[in-house]
Amino acid sequence: MSDERRELRAFVRTEEPPPSGARVVLRGGRDTQALLGTHARRLNRTFVLDGQELYGISVFVALDDVGPASQRGLLTGKLLSSPLVYTPTVGELVDAGFDLLPTFDRPHFTVVFASLADVPRLLAALGPLRPNRYAWAAPMEQP
Amino acid sequence: MTHIDIAADLNSEDETGLVWTYLDEAREPAVIRPREIVVAGTELTSAVCEVVDLVEQPTGTIVHLRVLPGTLAQYRKLVERVGR
Repeated sequence: MSDERRELRAFVRTEEPPPSGARVVLRGGRDTQALLGTHARRLNRTFVLDGQELYGISVFVALDDVGPASQRGLLTGKLLSSPLVYTPTVGELVDAGFDLLPTFDRPHFTVVFASLADVPRLLAALGPLRPNRYAWAAPMEQP
Repeated sequence: MTHIDIAADLNSEDETGLVWTYLDEAREPAVIRPREIVVAGTELTSAVCEVVDLVEQPTGTIVHLRVLPGTLAQYRKLVERVGR
């Protein structure tokens, strides 16, 4: 099957330096282990990384202090439909053993891991859900 | 439980900058056509989306979605207000 899948490396942004550990990672929630596993399998169905098996989920990193790639810019833009968001730092995910690949358009990243057995640890590393006060709906109102 | 037309991770973008998922994850694949308005996401996180296009890949048919402003509740209110 791997010959049918796309190579994710072709979509890695190579021109930008890795984000500092203090930068905030944002992901709209809510997730469960089962949902993260489903999302990770979808990526695995679609992509390989350097020809190898790959699991991963999508996040955004607040790379800038202002503008669409800032924390506020993401909460009021790409994450406007998410009343709840996870906001770990890059350092917290890296310390938990996960790599962040800058994929597709800035500031999208893929948190990559080798096995679905890593999903419980990933969910723990995402930390608590926090309200997105800019979202269209309050947490109990959506969609 | 929230009605979901097509399962997706609303955080997941590809090179188009749009949310993507697979057509075979739709409740009724026939509904998933360009310019249709659907509810996408999971039972815990969903949004009203526009189907932008369907792209055949060896791994399946990729559906690109554009997340629309507002919530399903707001769309319901709009329909109630303006009539049918």
